[in-house]
Amino acid sequence: MIKIENLEKVYKTEEVETTALNGINMHVKAGEFVSIMGPSGCGKSTLLNVMGLLDKPESGSYKFLETELLTMNDKERSNFRKRNMGFVFQNFNLIDELTVFENIELPLIYNKVAAPERKRLVNEMIERMNIVNRSGHFPQQLSGGQQQRVAVARALVTKPKLVLADEPTGNLDSSHGNEVMELLCELNEQGTTIVMVTHSSHDASFSNRIINLKDGHVISEKINKTRSEELI
Amino acid sequence: MFRLNLKIALRNLWKHKGYTFINIAGLSIGMASCILIFIFVRYQLSFDQQFANKDRIYRVVSSWKYADKEDFQSGVPRPLAAAMRNDFGMLEEVAALQRAGGIIKVKDQSGKLRLKTAEDVFYIEPGFFRIFDYPWLEGNPQQALVQPNTVALSQKMASRFFGDWHKAVGQTFQYRDKTLKVTGVFADIPDNNSNPINIAIAYAGYENKDMKEWYTVSSSSEVYILLKKGVNIADLEGPKNAFLKKYYTDKESNGKEDHFFQPLAELHKDANYGNFSGKIMEKSQLTGLIAIGVFLLLTACINFINLATAQAIGRSKEIGVRKVMGGRRKQLMVQFLTETLTITIFALLIACVLTEAALPGMIGLFRENISFSIMDHPVIFVFMIVLVLLVSLVAGFYPAMVMSGFNPMLAIRNKVNLGNSGGAVLRKVLVVMQFTLTIILMTGTFIIMKQMKYIREKPLGFNPSAIAMVNVPGDSLSRLKYKFLKTKVENETGVRMASLCSSGPSSMDVDDINFSYNGKKPGFHVGSKYADADYFKTFDLKVISGKGFSGNDSLQEYIVNETFLKKLNIVSPEDAIGQKVSLGGSADQISIVGVVKDFNNTNLREAISPILFHKNSRKATVIAVKMNTQNIPATMKNIEAIWNSVYPDHVYMADFMEEKINKYYENERVIGTLFKAFALVIVFISFIGLFGLISFVATQRTKEMAIRKVLGASTLELVNMVNFSFMTLVLLANLMAWPIAYLLINKWLSGYAYRIELNIWPFLIVTSVSMIATLLTVSFRSFSAARANPVDALKDE
Ligand SMILES: Nc1ncnc2c1ncn2[C@@H]1O[C@H](COP(=O)(O)OP(=O)(O)O)[C@@H](O)[C@H]1O
Ligand SMILES: [Mg+2]
Repeated sequence: MIKIENLEKVYKTEEVETTALNGINMHVKAGEFVSIMGPSGCGKSTLLNVMGLLDKPESGSYKFLETELLTMNDKERSNFRKRNMGFVFQNFNLIDELTVFENIELPLIYNKVAAPERKRLVNEMIERMNIVNRSGHFPQQLSGGQQQRVAVARALVTKPKLVLADEPTGNLDSSHGNEVMELLCELNEQGTTIVMVTHSSHDASFSNRIINLKDGHVISEKINKTRSEELI
Repeated sequence: MFRLNLKIALRNLWKHKGYTFINIAGLSIGMASCILIFIFVRYQLSFDQQFANKDRIYRVVSSWKYADKEDFQSGVPRPLAAAMRNDFGMLEEVAALQRAGGIIKVKDQSGKLRLKTAEDVFYIEPGFFRIFDYPWLEGNPQQALVQPNTVALSQKMASRFFGDWHKAVGQTFQYRDKTLKVTGVFADIPDNNSNPINIAIAYAGYENKDMKEWYTVSSSSEVYILLKKGVNIADLEGPKNAFLKKYYTDKESNGKEDHFFQPLAELHKDANYGNFSGKIMEKSQLTGLIAIGVFLLLTACINFINLATAQAIGRSKEIGVRKVMGGRRKQLMVQFLTETLTITIFALLIACVLTEAALPGMIGLFRENISFSIMDHPVIFVFMIVLVLLVSLVAGFYPAMVMSGFNPMLAIRNKVNLGNSGGAVLRKVLVVMQFTLTIILMTGTFIIMKQMKYIREKPLGFNPSAIAMVNVPGDSLSRLKYKFLKTKVENETGVRMASLCSSGPSSMDVDDINFSYNGKKPGFHVGSKYADADYFKTFDLKVISGKGFSGNDSLQEYIVNETFLKKLNIVSPEDAIGQKVSLGGSADQISIVGVVKDFNNTNLREAISPILFHKNSRKATVIAVKMNTQNIPATMKNIEAIWNSVYPDHVYMADFMEEKINKYYENERVIGTLFKAFALVIVFISFIGLFGLISFVATQRTKEMAIRKVLGASTLELVNMVNFSFMTLVLLANLMAWPIAYLLINKWLSGYAYRIELNIWPFLIVTSVSMIATLLTVSFRSFSAARANPVDALKDE
């Protein structure tokens, strides 16, 4: 589904130039669950942001279902993103002023889904995430695990083809972390393609394939036998 | 502790340069406006206040009640002073002040003419100088002005006449047909005085001093009284009523005469009566100015409060740490108030500079001599200190209270949430208030401009353009030469025609005279003017019935205006032709020969009054000269030469009819300019405040906007989201401003007989302009915030 070639990204600040991505080549198949690992500062988040069309690389090619995304203008990128992708962040990034329900509803609003349909989709998500009695709460009133479940719900409510998760368990204790990982696994089994950045090999063990980055390029790739049979 | 606080204060100000700039800019401009207004108001209130007895001094003024109106006069009948001196026991002093004017000639030792000038003079009773303690430099006021034909001069005038004022006493000069001997010199009377006396002639020598007529009042005859100590002005009411009964015995009189004792401080403020200086500043205008000053300051304070509470969250950590380390709430309050004080003092320094820069403009606007010297008027300094303290308190108290009230544990973790609490609501209320004031001032300015344009462009019923009003001397010898002058002027190329008359169609000084129409006295007075046969053509007045005046001077004729007929219930102008009118109790019955179409006979604040023209060129005071519009300056020069050759002993004086008319609207000019300036100031302050607030909100909502963007919000959607709340606030302010502005403006317009009708348009225009300006101001910031790369905002700390 995704084919990335020779991706390069350089950050220029006043004094230093940091090459965050230095010729990345990779692909992701539809329905796959890919983990990206590597030491801090090796460019994992940058790669994910580029894949999510939040950042623009200097050069390279990024094909999504045969469409080249890097030549698109801002508006096309924005439209493509909101139709096809969902995001989960380490620090949840929920909007404090909105309730659980409203947070989940937000991407549907921006996708111009009609109100009754929105209500149906959000409620469906809330049920699926097991947070029914929380839908009127504000994020501050929830535990970290619950907040991340809301964030996952929000990422999925538009039924995206691709979910991008940047250290989704990074701010959670292990039991809450596991809950979220199981959730992602379940989604993946239902057909959502997932690319996840993680530090934890435990989390990575939930995925089909692990890509190792160092200094902005892919140094190794490993197929997770236990999880990947049905795919291959 | 204080030094530490100051250091922190300065660092904080520096850290938030943008907000600090907005605060200081707003406060300094607001304060400068306030200081300017204060200087001006102080000056206006200082009029006639330099006298030791000021609280016991009153001017006696006159009023008449008619069936349909009331008339006011600063003058009193000539016998009044003597009669009051006789009848009122509670008065320490009564003194008459009579204004006159004429040609003065000063000769040097050899008898050669040194100076010829036309001046206002005052005939003054010595008692006047017991009421008003003007400092005298030479001579004794009680002896100097006892003998007829003695005169005292102001220092300035004495120097002008005789080179050196020390040498003035004992010298003589010529005033009209009198030789006056200088017996005293007094210090120049300051500008803030309602009686600009430069030449004080002994009242004993005034030719009309013994006139016994109680029913003739001239605004040139004033009388002042000094109450005995301990006497209340209300105690004079009884004696006054007896006095009125005793002297006003004519049952036939049209109006009911009354007198009023006007406190000295009111001379400068009551436009009903006026005064010799011609300077008037009505109380309502002073109140209006003070209100505007308060508005401006309030607007600037609101900026401060808004930005300070907005920044409070950013400082919560500092506050938390201070509290945990044992800082008490009171100390924190003091710290924050110190910061406010620092800003305010800084703003004051800039305000002083701005004031100095704006003062010449202000002086030019009011054409008055206003100084901004703290040395001369220490009260200005006091005002500035009060201003600084007041602003610091108003602007600083609430933010200080909010910040010092933070819960230290929440504060230290940066968890205080002002977002949904009182802070945000208060900010919204303040913004609405601020913009309500702004919109009121904008709408007011807009409509004042419209009304002024209307006044400028309204047809007056006559054509005042290219008409010079040249004074002619009134003595009997000069009068014989009127015809000669007129013929010579008319023959001048560039002159189309000329008319000898008492005044132009529109003039402020009309003689209101009672009259009878076919032997019956109606319940109103008629304004009378003298004119010759060419008057109506010269001013392009339309005679709608009958004919103009005949050229035959010995034939007495009257022409009246339409209002005169309306008031008499005469429907058809033809019916008035040939009817008889007699004026002012005279037995002469004179025929109406024509009716002139109505024209505006004073300014447009007043409705048209009944007017009667007398054909009598010998009573003229001016010759109105209608010129070709090309080369008016050259024509004027020639007219002056002709005039001087006809009247070599007199002084030429002329002005233009159009300028005279413009002078009626001097107040409007001043108020219009002030409104424009202050509206600009308040708009500036409000909008930079708004800009500050949107900057803050945009910063505060950066993360939220980034999240929304990641979730698919377009830039436009984000801009709209942020703009919406601001647009609603300004719209709300507009809605609140409408009724208030409507009431105020309607009240102002009701002072005009000729006024624009208020409709919705000015309101809609101001609303649209303010909404568009808000949109631009807010979008400028919200757009750049919405365009920012969301990745930067969402980076994990
Ligand atoms: N906005 C930025 N400006 C400058 N340098 C950046 C920026 N974002 C990331 N970098 C640099 O790029 C490199 C890769 O960063 P990142 O992708 O966040 O690493 P990771 O997520 O693997 O820890 C790092 O060296 C980081 O310092
Ligand atoms: Mg990272």
